Amino acid sequence: MALLFRSLQTLCFLLLISLVAAEHTSNWAVLVSTSRFWFNYRHLANVLSLYRTVKRLGIPDSQIILMLPDDMACNPRNAFPGTVYSNADRAVDLYGDNIEVDYRGYEVTVENFIRLLTDRLDADVPRSKRLGSDAGSNVLVYMTGHGGDQFLKFQDSEEIGAWDLADAFGQMWEKKRYHELLFMIDTCQANTMYTHFYSPNIVATGSSELDQSSYSHHADNDVGVAVIDRWTYYVLEFLETQVTSANSKLNLGDLFDSYDESKIHSQPGVRWDLFPGGEPEGRLRTVVDFFGNVQNVEVENSNSTEPGSLKEDLAEIARLVEKWRQRDEEYSAILSSHNNTEASSLHLTAKKTVGSTKMTDDNSWGKRLVGLSVVGACTAVWVAGSILGRKV
Amino acid sequence: MLAKIRDLRNNPHLLFVRLPNLLSLTCIVVGVVWLLLLPLNEYSRQTYISENALLPGQVHAYFSGSEQNVFRGYKKELEGLLNEGRDQGVPPAEAGQTPAVSSKIQSILQAAGLKVATQKYEYTSAGITHEGENVYAIIHAPRGDATEAIVLVAAWKTANNELNLNGVTLALTLARYFKRWSLWSKDIIFVITPDSKSGTQAWIDAYHDMHPASVQPLPLKSGALQGALVIEYPFDHRFQSLHVVYDGVNGQLPNLDLFNTAVAIANNQMGIGSNLQEMWEHDDSYQARLQTILRGMAKQGLGYATGAHSSFMPYHIDAITLQPKGEGWEDEMALGRTIESICRSLNNLLEHLHQSFFFYLLMQSNRFVSIGTYLPSAMLLAGNFTIMAIALWMRTGYYTGTSSTAPAIAGDKKEKPSSKKVTSGKPVADVKLKESGVAERQLALPLTLVVGLHLLGLIPLWLFNTLPHQYLPTSAYAFVIVDIVLPLVLAALLSHGLGLSAPIIPQQYHLIKSFSLLLLGLSLSTLATLNFSLSFMVGLLCAPLSFIERLQSPSKPVRSTISGIGFLCLNLLSPPSALLGVCWYTGVSVETVLTQAAFGWDVWGVWTQVVVWCVWWPAWLIGCVLLGASMF
Repeated sequence: MALLFRSLQTLCFLLLISLVAAEHTSNWAVLVSTSRFWFNYRHLANVLSLYRTVKRLGIPDSQIILMLPDDMACNPRNAFPGTVYSNADRAVDLYGDNIEVDYRGYEVTVENFIRLLTDRLDADVPRSKRLGSDAGSNVLVYMTGHGGDQFLKFQDSEEIGAWDLADAFGQMWEKKRYHELLFMIDTCQANTMYTHFYSPNIVATGSSELDQSSYSHHADNDVGVAVIDRWTYYVLEFLETQVTSANSKLNLGDLFDSYDESKIHSQPGVRWDLFPGGEPEGRLRTVVDFFGNVQNVEVENSNSTEPGSLKEDLAEIARLVEKWRQRDEEYSAILSSHNNTEASSLHLTAKKTVGSTKMTDDNSWGKRLVGLSVVGACTAVWVAGSILGRKV
Repeated sequence: MLAKIRDLRNNPHLLFVRLPNLLSLTCIVVGVVWLLLLPLNEYSRQTYISENALLPGQVHAYFSGSEQNVFRGYKKELEGLLNEGRDQGVPPAEAGQTPAVSSKIQSILQAAGLKVATQKYEYTSAGITHEGENVYAIIHAPRGDATEAIVLVAAWKTANNELNLNGVTLALTLARYFKRWSLWSKDIIFVITPDSKSGTQAWIDAYHDMHPASVQPLPLKSGALQGALVIEYPFDHRFQSLHVVYDGVNGQLPNLDLFNTAVAIANNQMGIGSNLQEMWEHDDSYQARLQTILRGMAKQGLGYATGAHSSFMPYHIDAITLQPKGEGWEDEMALGRTIESICRSLNNLLEHLHQSFFFYLLMQSNRFVSIGTYLPSAMLLAGNFTIMAIALWMRTGYYTGTSSTAPAIAGDKKEKPSSKKVTSGKPVADVKLKESGVAERQLALPLTLVVGLHLLGLIPLWLFNTLPHQYLPTSAYAFVIVDIVLPLVLAALLSHGLGLSAPIIPQQYHLIKSFSLLLLGLSLSTLATLNFSLSFMVGLLCAPLSFIERLQSPSKPVRSTISGIGFLCLNLLSPPSALLGVCWYTGVSVETVLTQAAFGWDVWGVWTQVVVWCVWWPAWLIGCVLLGASMF
């Protein structure tokens, strides 16, 4: 009976924990394309497609950091000036009329990206260029570009390594800049990019394994370039056709199950081990936990017991107050019982000894005698020496 | 075993005479075999597009339909003017150069909304004046920054001197068509030039302000040129395949990516076959591949311009000519679409073509060998001369060998037993020591002679590039005679001591040969990196020179006969006789070749003549002198 009760209690506790952990108060998205040049049109189209999706599912522009290293819409080679399409049917102009690019052109650098994640930015950097996430934010990080084994090229001039990215996320966790993080990457050998992550609460997914290329999906023969990558295309297909509203109950498991290697032409990967509860728990997160905007406003999480929570802090302060109170009581007790008791007068005796001390008389006279005799002996030696010297 | 090796080391005849000969021969044989191996699959590679930005064939080409009516209209207008000119007695080849035609082209281009300008030019070479007027027009990239441009050229006279009416009309139609696109990132320049040989040269020189006084400067310019396409369509029927001509002046080649782009677009997007190097029936067999390589090498080696595109190459502008060939069902619209698609690819470029190879030998439109694979071939040929020169230099310092003081019995037979005795008997070793002691080199005469003969090469170089064309064949024949007489006179002079008190000793003959071969080896190995084919051809023709020296051994009559025959054989390999031989074999008149060569020197800046007269001819002359000296 007791055993049953005990296990029930544990189960309830676990359920409570998971419910508590699933709650987040804001959503942020960092969408990064890392390549410029006309022939990389598709990378910008990838990012802009995702930008459109997260906006549709409710994340406001103020909480989306969009990094576009090139301006395809205004490229002179663009047969449709001012537009970017991610499909040859050209049904949706991704550039549209409400798009907010936060980092553009040569601002898209590894340094800026890492500074953005870790919030090591100058005070004068505007809010639009800051990732204002906190310990209650679910953050979606999507990257696309040209990459290789454990690196991703930025703009043909530099690259970010898997360790750099892992450390940036590690620092974000330490600085309480995310609650849970979904990392998505579409590049060649993408899965190598998340191998070094070590901070908790991250789900990572990539488009291709080590030594595999990620391919483009199709080209638009009027634009003259490939317009979208395969993996992104099929992720978007899922998001656009299945996750139709912010109330969608589809979870990450459904999203990852939708990967079809025969369509993607490479093996996508998912990493669950950093997530508390691993895959079974991670799969239960809904897609809109990361792609949508959740308005769970909570003043404070009263049940939380993890280090750093208010409850913990209050308890700690209470303990400190208790400790000081005890000391105070002890001290006053000693003061009050000074005249009556002698057993507990350790402090008082110490007080008594305090004062100036004098050297004893005999001791000083002895020293004076020794000094005198030494001086006398020296004088005697000097006199004897001078007399003897004169004789010679 | 060790004793044997020591024997070999102590055998100066082997070290300084036999071994270098063997090494040189091996170099030549390996060099030639190397070239013959290149067409094999193991040594050649499939072509591929290196530059990501090009994206060949990824765009729809819309040039068709109503544009065909425009094409027909323009053609009719131009045809009318051409017929008028013909009625007035203008020769058909010059039909495109009348002022009426020129102003018509200008008005068409202006009507299409392009900025138009003209440029007059005049060149005189071998007493012939080449003049004309280029008409060109610029489409400014509507959203571009005007720092780069693509050139489309159509010459009224094709490289084969045919009237290129369809080509010019197509260029005009394309100008009108391209003007309406807003997607150009580079300006597009249309150049209509009267003639493939001099027109583009005048235009491109003036574009870079490098033109001579007889050529007008350009009033209108654009940005840095990124690529050029030359359109030829000199017949009225439909065509079957596209012949891509890519050789530039002095054997320079356009970036392989440009060729690959043209082939990829023609084959894959348009479904038009492609040829190269006039190989109409290419079955991809070893023979066909080798033949293609050899044809390419011949053009590269001679270094002349193979079309209007060749003039662009010295300015590092990649250019090709597209020639429709054969009877098929592709019309001018298909050619237009191909050009449109190539232009769209070039338009995608972000920087100058640089990713792919500039040094290559093509053996099929989709197979090539790169410089790393083929270069050793010419380098080995050039190396054989250097090896011989170094060996001779060492030989003159340490080893007198069959010197004139030694008994004049056959050196080979004498040397072997004597060298064997060196290890066994002491008295012989002493004799040997005396014989192979350190000798002082007499450098003055050999150096003077070698340098003097190389400078002498400037005379034929000057003559053949300045004489009027009618005297050129005569002077070529005269030079054959000079090549027979001059070495004999020189040999006789040398044998009789040049009137100097000191007689010419054999060491000096060796030194003459050494210096001559050293220069030859040096020049050819340097040349191999710039113009592989020329270096290879000259190297092959000079190969016998490594093994020619003044004979001393047999008695005088035998010696004279042997050297006389050798002298005659060598004369067949002299530069003028080689030229006459090639002309006789190909059936081209000597005058045409020499006039063309002079034109190349004057207008295109061809350097082949310098190599012939200042590298090949002096080396050959010295070989002949050495052989001639054995007669006296």
